[in-house]
Amino acid sequence: MSASGSQPGPWGARDSPPAGSAPVAMTARAKAAGPGLKATDFLAAQRANRRNTVWLIAILLTLGGSFGYLLGLLAEANFAPDFDAFAPSRFGVVGAVVFVGIGAAASLVTFAAGDRVIVGMTGAREVSAADEPVLHNVVEEMAIASGLPKPRLVVIDTPAMNAFATGMRPDRAALGVTRGLLDGLSRDELQGVVGHEMSHIANLDTRYLTAVAILVGLIGLVADATRRSLFYSGRRQRRGRAAAPLIAILLLFSILAPIAAMLVRFAVSRQREYLADATAVRFTRNPTGLIGALQKLEASVQPFAGANRATQHMFIVNPFRDFAGNVSALMATHPPIANRIERLQNLGAD
Amino acid sequence: MDTGLYIVLGIIAVLLLWVMATYNGLVRVKNQVANAWRQIDVQLKRRHDLIPNLVEVVKDTMSYEQETLRQVIEARNRAAAAAGPAEAIPAETALTGAVGRLFALAENYPQLKANENASRLMEELATTENKIAFSRQFYNDSVMENNNRVESFPANLIAGSFGFGVAPYFEVPAGETATPKVDLR
Repeated sequence: MSASGSQPGPWGARDSPPAGSAPVAMTARAKAAGPGLKATDFLAAQRANRRNTVWLIAILLTLGGSFGYLLGLLAEANFAPDFDAFAPSRFGVVGAVVFVGIGAAASLVTFAAGDRVIVGMTGAREVSAADEPVLHNVVEEMAIASGLPKPRLVVIDTPAMNAFATGMRPDRAALGVTRGLLDGLSRDELQGVVGHEMSHIANLDTRYLTAVAILVGLIGLVADATRRSLFYSGRRQRRGRAAAPLIAILLLFSILAPIAAMLVRFAVSRQREYLADATAVRFTRNPTGLIGALQKLEASVQPFAGANRATQHMFIVNPFRDFAGNVSALMATHPPIANRIERLQNLGAD
Repeated sequence: MDTGLYIVLGIIAVLLLWVMATYNGLVRVKNQVANAWRQIDVQLKRRHDLIPNLVEVVKDTMSYEQETLRQVIEARNRAAAAAGPAEAIPAETALTGAVGRLFALAENYPQLKANENASRLMEELATTENKIAFSRQFYNDSVMENNNRVESFPANLIAGSFGFGVAPYFEVPAGETATPKVDLR
């Protein structure tokens, strides 16, 4: 490998890294990870989670696309003289393409606009290395393990235990923890939490969930407009008989699509939490730290004033989980902590 | 005839784009491996700088541990003076073990935690130990990504013709994964 040749290496200037055969090195790493942990387990977990997220996004796009198609179909039924309800509709295809296109464009615009608002919304303040040396050290460790630039660090002064990460781009990301978390966790547990948040940055989750939120919002908006226009046009004009069942379908769709889209949004959010847990283990090679932290977070009953419904999905555990009554599992932004711990234990912790 | 020409041109354009993308990907992982390699060096140097300061601060409190402290300093000097990997790997491994023993013994001296200077240096050394382990881990992850790219088909055709090769893994010496023995006297 020419990359490391004649560059200053770990032992000063010299020719090449120590020669080592791949299989030996891999088993050595696996052993370092802890008893029973196969070094590739977290990679499989990451792959499975990525696959699930792709499916969920595909469902959202299909939902939006069919919506556009139905709208186009309705337009054709109204305006085209030779309407045939069972032939493929040109208007419909245009509608689907326009809808998916607007969704993609809106997402891109949001990515470019940045994300300064979020940190301010949580009431966090930035801390220097002199203020919080251990936090800075732990974050630097995880930045090295992940190969990412070190994010800006903020602390929320509340006894509640929580953490969050935000940033459309890894080089402009911010990571926040609460005072209660800093006081209550051991160094290893803090490392697990920071690893989880760095994983959100590494997996581009802010960007991902923003794109999903935009798609969901768009579907809701169009559904609303459709219902309204159906109502008005229904009173004002008469239509061919073929359009009647179409209107019924569209009406049903405009009611169900936003609900389905929202459920998908929550499902994506939960998948990304599992993914961040698995990636955190990839970085720390130590599931016990994150497990211990999650157990303490679950036991903590300090209410968190700094969060609201708009920012709840960003935190490591949902800030409202104990205080909002029984939220249905389908409407949750986070998987149950017990399930997350169980999956982490399957990664090989005792 | 015209359509045939366009199709051929299109296929050539797609192929060129693929070659470009594959080549750039190979350059990216190659540079990542080189950068990860330097990062290990940075952290080892930091450890060499920290240890004399820490020993200076704790030597009065840990006066019964002169032997351990002397071993730490000796291991540090050997590691800092090592030339070439054959000397450096065992020296750095021995230093990791010596630092581990020092940390274990320091647990017996709660007054060190109260000493602001000592606890700050202990935290610095602890994080540097972690950073050494994580930078080595990242180096090996980068090597795996590099080698996967260089060796899998069809990218290996490009890698072969432009001289991209596999990188060697950083082997963790067998002794380093074992828990350091605590010397209780």
